This record gives sequence, C-alpha cells and structure tokens, in this order.
Amino acid sequence: MSAPPHHIISFRGVTVAYGHRGPPALEDVTVDIPCGSLTAILGANGAGKSTLLRAVLGWLPLARGEIRIGDEHPEHALPRLAYLPQRLGVDWDFPITARAVVEQGRYPSLRPWRRLGAEDGARVERALAELDLSAVADRQIRQLSGGQQQRVFLARALAQGADIFLLDEPFAGLDLFAVEELTHILRSWEAQGRTVLAAVHGLDLARQVFSRGVLLANRLVAAGPLDSVLTEGNIDHAFRRAHCVHGDLPRPHPS
Amino acid sequence: MHDTLLAPFSYGFMQRAALSAALLSVSGGLLGCILVLRRLALMGDALSHSLLPGIAVAWLLFGPSTRALFAGALFAGLLTALGSALVSRLTRVKEDAAFGALFLIFFGAGVALLSRLPTRLNLEHFLFGNILGVGPDDLRLAAAVCGATVAAFAFFRRQILLETFDPVFFRAVGGRGGLVHAGILVLTVLNLVAALQTMGVVLALGLFLLPAASAYLWCDRFGRLLLLSVALALVSSVGGILLSFEAGVASGAAIVLCLGAVFLGSVLLSPRYGAVARVRGFLRGRRSVRHSA
Repeated sequence: MSAPPHHIISFRGVTVAYGHRGPPALEDVTVDIPCGSLTAILGANGAGKSTLLRAVLGWLPLARGEIRIGDEHPEHALPRLAYLPQRLGVDWDFPITARAVVEQGRYPSLRPWRRLGAEDGARVERALAELDLSAVADRQIRQLSGGQQQRVFLARALAQGADIFLLDEPFAGLDLFAVEELTHILRSWEAQGRTVLAAVHGLDLARQVFSRGVLLANRLVAAGPLDSVLTEGNIDHAFRRAHCVHGDLPRPHPS
Repeated sequence: MHDTLLAPFSYGFMQRAALSAALLSVSGGLLGCILVLRRLALMGDALSHSLLPGIAVAWLLFGPSTRALFAGALFAGLLTALGSALVSRLTRVKEDAAFGALFLIFFGAGVALLSRLPTRLNLEHFLFGNILGVGPDDLRLAAAVCGATVAAFAFFRRQILLETFDPVFFRAVGGRGGLVHAGILVLTVLNLVAALQTMGVVLALGLFLLPAASAYLWCDRFGRLLLLSVALALVSSVGGILLSFEAGVASGAAIVLCLGAVFLGSVLLSPRYGAVARVRGFLRGRRSVRHSA
C-alpha cells in the first residue's frame, strides 16, 4: 500500500472578489496540489489563473475559504515561495549584473548589518550553474538573451531556497529554443521534488510540458492528471462558459 | 595657483559653505541614484519648489532662525508629498499631475509671501543659494541630515535596492515597499531643506540629480554607482563653492554649473552609454551594411 499523496498547497473553498460589484474572480475553489508536481493552471482569459497564484502569496484578501502551504498559513511560508510575475517589471538598464540579481535571493535571510557569507556565495554559484548562467554571471542584465534574462530570475528563486514556484505565464514571449530550455528546467525540478504551479495559456503547451492541470472558469472545472482534465467536455465547458460571462453586455440597472 | 585654490578657505564662511556642501554631496549623491533609478527626478524637482512657502511663513513668524526655516520647509515638503498621494488615491488625477499641480500652487504661494517681506531680502537668496548664508546652525543641520541618510543607506541598502529594482519580488518576500518609498521621500525633503542655504530651492535638486545621472552613464554595478555619484558630487560642489567665490555668482548656480559640466561630459564621452559611442556604433553599422550590399 502506498502512502497517501502529500499535498503541499491546498485551497479550501477559496473565493476572491475584486471590489464589491461584479462576479468574484474565483469562487469556491477547492483543490489540492501534490508535493513535487508540475501543475498547469488553465483557463480562458479572466478565468482566475493569475488570481489563484496571487492568492497563494496572500496578496488578495479571501472573501471566503482558506489556503494552506503544507501545515502552515501562507504568511509563515513566504521563504518557501518563489513568484515570477507575467511580465518582469524590471528596468533592464539597471546597473546590476546577473550574479547580483541572484544574490538578491539571499537578502531576505540576511541581517541588515551582515554581508553575504561563504554559504550564501556557494548557493548563488550553485543556482547560477544549475541554470547554465555561470559564463554570463558578470554581464549587465541587458546584455543577456531573453531566455537568460528569465533564467536569472529563476536562479534567484533557487538561491532563495524556495521549493514552491508560482509562475505566471512563464512561456509567454519566449522563442522556440527558450521554450525548450524552460521545459527542460521545469522537468528536472519536478524530478528533484520541487513543486511548480504555473498559469499557462496554451493547451498544447500544457500537454507537452506539464503532468497535472487545474482548469478554471472562475470556478473549478476539473483538476488532476492532465489527460483527465483536458477532456473535450471540460475544455468546452471552461472556454464556452468564460466566453458567455465576458461576452454578456452589462445589464442596465433598474433605476 | 595654489593660493587661488586654498586662500578662499581661510574665511570662516567659506569653510562652513564648503563643509556643508561636502556633507550634502555625500547624502545627495546617494539619494540621487535612487531618484534616478526610480524615475523620481521630476518629482524631486517639484518637492524642492514646494518648500518655498514653508520658508516664507516661518520667516514671517519667527524671523531668520535656521530651526524655524527648517521646520517650515519640512512641513511644506511633507504636505506636498502627502497631499499629492491623497489626490492621486482619491481622484482620477495621476500622481505626477497631482505633484505638478500642488508644487505650482505652493511655489506661487511662496513667491507671493516672500515678495511681501519687508526687507527685500533675499528672494533671490532662497531661490539660488548664497554661500554667505551658511551659519553654524546650517552646518549642524547638514551634518545631521547627512548622518541620517548615510545610516539609512548603510542599514537598509538591500531593502532600498530590492524595492527600486524589483518591487514585486520585494513584496513577495515580505518587504514593505510603501515604507521604503515613504522613507525615500522623507529623506529627499530633509536633504533639500538642508541644502537650501547653499543651493536655493530651485537648484537644490541639482546636487542630487546631476552626479547620479552622470555616474549612471559610467557604472554597471549598483555599489559603484553610489560611490562614483558621491565622488562626483564632492568634487563638483567644492569646485562650485570656489567658483562662486572667485566669480561672484550665486553658489547654487556655480555648483550646478560644475556638476553640469561633468554631466555633459559623461553624456558625450561615456564609452558604452554615451552619445558619441552610440552614434559611432550606428555609423559603423550602416557602413558594414553598405559594404555587404
């Protein structure tokens, strides 16, 4: 008999509303993310994919429900979480090298008056090496390719010591080669027992890269192994439903 | 030569002016880098103008006491920062427009109040700086502000870097971006106020912005940017004080002219990011295209 699967992130009846008007962005979502899984969050535009990720970080007040990281409230698990937003709001002209960005991953665990120690340095070098950035570590960040730029931020997350990665549309804007590299990285992370939860736009891409899926249409449509999630019926439901919600004209208020 | 450089500093007021300018070069050079990187340059300019009514009211009420002028300017600066934050949160007007609107109102009020002063003092002095005006109290103020700024940078340098470079990450690891932003605004107001006597409200920001923007053209590392910015500010401000003495021009203007020479030199000559290098690279690109065609 195998041990019951260990869940690292669990959503219980999670409801998130932006403002008081309009339908909630997420409604009554209950789903468990297994430890060490590579999970895609899928759905139409506005289905709540990014909202689900941001809710894990505690950035959005939950109208109802609860999110747990392992046995903890997300607030106490921040060092374990690494978040990569959809568009890196970074000034690529900033006077900073790739290595210095990765070193930022160590900042949260440093006392203000301490410098980076040998152990911190070793972690930074390991992260750079794992993401194949050692050779370009001393370049200013604009002098990196698009794929390398993204990997710098993944390396920072590794240096941080995170084991749960929340990625918002990580494949957007990458060329074919960079998509392959990122796929390779994510698969090797899965093999090492790291948990990845990523909002993904394309269903084909999700099938190629991810093993599990969470299909959203503001409510949970389906969750589990990707084959069982991406059935024709589920896809139809998720994308048509979203279309209806967003295609409707606002009803005039009776005054 | 030696004498023309050193002789002016045998005067007490020159020593005070140079020391005060040097102290504020250190803190202004640091703070300027953050303003440049956070794209707050114009906001700093707005803040500096908004100090004027605070000075005017303090002068009308308490006369020329450094402490009163300092308190008045500080109050006016914080009121502008807070007021524009409120206007941009509560209305549709965005923060830059709110800042612009408030600083113009404040500056207008300041000019109006100062031109009503009985002594014809010195509107010009407050606008453009006067090295004769640096008293012992001003020097103490400059030392305190410089100390506070350097301490803030030493203690919170990582928070400042993270909030400036990647606020989303800073927030995700539990940082308080709003607090860092507010701290930077408060330090900016403090430094502007302390620089008033030497630089004047209109030009005070030059001591922060010009060295930082110059260093930005030379450095690819954050630490080096801070150091170079401070060094450029130090050299030019002491040079500016001398120029002010020798040529008899307002000290703020003299310092800004020295800093301006450094900035224009950097804009032209920086090997990687300067204008000459860019144009040369562009021409070389065109030539190689023509060759291959």
